[in-house]
Amino acid sequence: MDTYASETELAYPEICEIFADVFQHAGPLARGTSPDDVPRWDSLQHIALIRALETTFRVRLSMDEMMEIRSVGDIERILARHGV
Amino acid sequence: MSSPSLDISRSLSKPRGSSAPVPDDKIGEIVDAVIDAAPECVRKRVFLPAIDWALVPPHKVRLLLSSLDQARLALPRWLAKPLLLAGHTLPDGPGDALPSALKALSRLNGAAGEPSEREALSPSLESLGYVSGIESDIVVALVRRLLALSWDDEALRFALAHAHAVPQALRLIGGAFERYLAGLPSVRLRLSGSATTAMLADALAPAFAVEGWRADISEGGFGSALGDLLSPPDDGVDALVVLLDSEGLAPTDWRHPEPEVARLAAERADMLAEALETFSSRANVPLLINTLPVPSAPTAGLLDRQHGMGLRRAIDVLNQRILEAADRSGRIIAVDADQALSTLAPHEQLDPKLWYYGRIGYSPEATQRLARAFSEAWRIARRGPVKVLAVDFDNTLWGGIYGDDGVDGLACGEDFPGNAFQALQQECLRLKAQGILLVGLSKNEARAIEVFEQHPGMVLKADDFAAHAVNWQPKAENIKRIAADLDLGLDSVLFLDDSPHEREAMRRLAPEVVVPEMPEDPADRPRWLRRLSATWPVRLTGEDASRSAVYAARRSAQELRARAASFEDYLSSLEQRLVLSFVNARTLARAAQMHQRTNQFNLTTLRLGEPEISALAEDPTRGLVLLGKVTDRFGDHGLVIASAVEIYGAEATIRTLLMSCRVIGRDVERAFMGALVAELASRGVARVRGAYVPTPKNGMVRDFYASCGFSQETGESAETTWTFAIGEAPPPGSAQVGTSWET
Repeated sequence: MDTYASETELAYPEICEIFADVFQHAGPLARGTSPDDVPRWDSLQHIALIRALETTFRVRLSMDEMMEIRSVGDIERILARHGV
Repeated sequence: MSSPSLDISRSLSKPRGSSAPVPDDKIGEIVDAVIDAAPECVRKRVFLPAIDWALVPPHKVRLLLSSLDQARLALPRWLAKPLLLAGHTLPDGPGDALPSALKALSRLNGAAGEPSEREALSPSLESLGYVSGIESDIVVALVRRLLALSWDDEALRFALAHAHAVPQALRLIGGAFERYLAGLPSVRLRLSGSATTAMLADALAPAFAVEGWRADISEGGFGSALGDLLSPPDDGVDALVVLLDSEGLAPTDWRHPEPEVARLAAERADMLAEALETFSSRANVPLLINTLPVPSAPTAGLLDRQHGMGLRRAIDVLNQRILEAADRSGRIIAVDADQALSTLAPHEQLDPKLWYYGRIGYSPEATQRLARAFSEAWRIARRGPVKVLAVDFDNTLWGGIYGDDGVDGLACGEDFPGNAFQALQQECLRLKAQGILLVGLSKNEARAIEVFEQHPGMVLKADDFAAHAVNWQPKAENIKRIAADLDLGLDSVLFLDDSPHEREAMRRLAPEVVVPEMPEDPADRPRWLRRLSATWPVRLTGEDASRSAVYAARRSAQELRARAASFEDYLSSLEQRLVLSFVNARTLARAAQMHQRTNQFNLTTLRLGEPEISALAEDPTRGLVLLGKVTDRFGDHGLVIASAVEIYGAEATIRTLLMSCRVIGRDVERAFMGALVAELASRGVARVRGAYVPTPKNGMVRDFYASCGFSQETGESAETTWTFAIGEAPPPGSAQVGTSWET
């Protein structure tokens, strides 16, 4: 898996905090980290994730983007697209 | 965020646990330059907030503060906040004008964790629990700081008090919240809704914890509201909570001609009213049910409240039926959604993408507020409002201080600013009329009570007070004596006082007394008191109560039986149709999506993808993939049930069978199984096999095969296998659901 050497390599370090807050996920994050790696990342908590991204980065994510996010790499890509 | 400060902020912001992206000496130079320029920056309100002050050592912050001081500039709040969030502490001078939450954060940042500090800070932390609208980052910082000091009780109480606005604060508490819940008395709630209730279920736990209960919740599942009202919960439940939402309850199918649309809306309202009637005649637990909030998007424009096609009109009708039911039955408690959501604009109450994604009828923010409203309603239903309003005189019931200003110098009357004080007196009279006893508590010469007769603007009179203590004794001692005289517990006393010191003293000396933080501005107080749910009545006056008793007696038991619909009647009245089809190019993606997303009603949780599904559907002698669409009188639910079956000659194995939670509890699954078995029989199959593979989420289908007449083959382990001999056992099916094939 494409793992980050440290959390500074995440384009948005806040994602770490969001994962800790929403999923109680303390482990390392990788670009490929997906619902399979995060036990609490189910369809309900996905909503909490979307909401946390929206409030933290002050963006509004669309329905398509909501479906598109299946990994940490997807989140980075979509935030970059929003000019965050 | 287009200011030039962005680049500096990025280069200065240092992710925790890693090295700074620029060398430390460079950062030092930038910070020094910034501090040099601080007075100019503060004057022009630019630049400074973007710095990550956690990187700046305390002595440089002191330098900054003194340079502002020398330039005779007050420390602005927009600069104080990032300093405090970064962990700095502000000396008394510059910190004096800050709001109480930031002041507390400053003191906590400077605290070393000594017990004496804890003792000193504890009451102001408690008062912060009553302050609404503290910004979420400040709430989070306070909780983090309290946890770092190991002041876990204070952290928990503060986080809990703000959980409805800042839910992430409570998640910081972690396991301590679970342990706290374990010590609370349990209230067993059955939760159902007109759409998805999972998000409300999560929010109810903290909301009930604030009121002192541990909510043990069982969910009825998607769209279970009417079913649960018609088959009221059994003894294992203390209350039924029903979450109604406009999208789930009042969708309109515009393919119908207009009169039909209006007729269906009316029928829907009747159905809800009948279900409520049935509940109140059969259930022995209370029902907490919300009204529907004002919709943000009309369906008849300006005519939305007048015309039969208007959504607002449809919602008004539904709400009226709910309120009538609540008025008639002591068991039904209606929670006014507009009131609960009044701090959110209508467009903030619903996030449409969440509705389309998961049939979630309220935004997360709205859900939190509704959860609070439900828990408040439960507290009011169980404990009633406070019985005593203990109220201060000087600067509370009138403006000014009697001892200094004399009777004539006191502000209270028809004119500004005395009219705000007179308005608060009117609210006191209102509460008296609603059955709450008024008690005067004033540190004053005893003759101050005469002000109510001497001053022409006073609408309260001395004899409106059931008791008063106007002396120089501590107010806590006075109220303890008075409560004992009135034979009332201190926990039924609400204390209003403009002085933070008096409030703090009351909290220390009589902790049972309810001591909210009253707004500083007298103009805000009358409406604030109206919103204070500790004063809200359950039912009004004995006359009301007896009127509803008379009402109940008038209806004979026979009449009730006639009106109360059964659950089966309800299902039949839905006129449900299951429309069957084999998977095709158009429905393949939806079939695969259902296989990925369905967790609860899923026999094997085998996640078949598009290739596997099309492979099974390819050869009719080797397999089939059957899909079912459900429609009822109110509209289409779309494709909601699917099964993939492998066929080997005269034997078939059900590899997957799953159904969306949208239609759970409507007997659709048995009608579908009947159709599946019939289709297999027509292809020469004599024996159908199936397995139940348990997961943490699919317990609801453990007995599904048994309910369809299958016999169990094996089942030593948790996984069970089942078989059905076509022609030998009676075919499964449902009388409540008609089936047909898509043409």
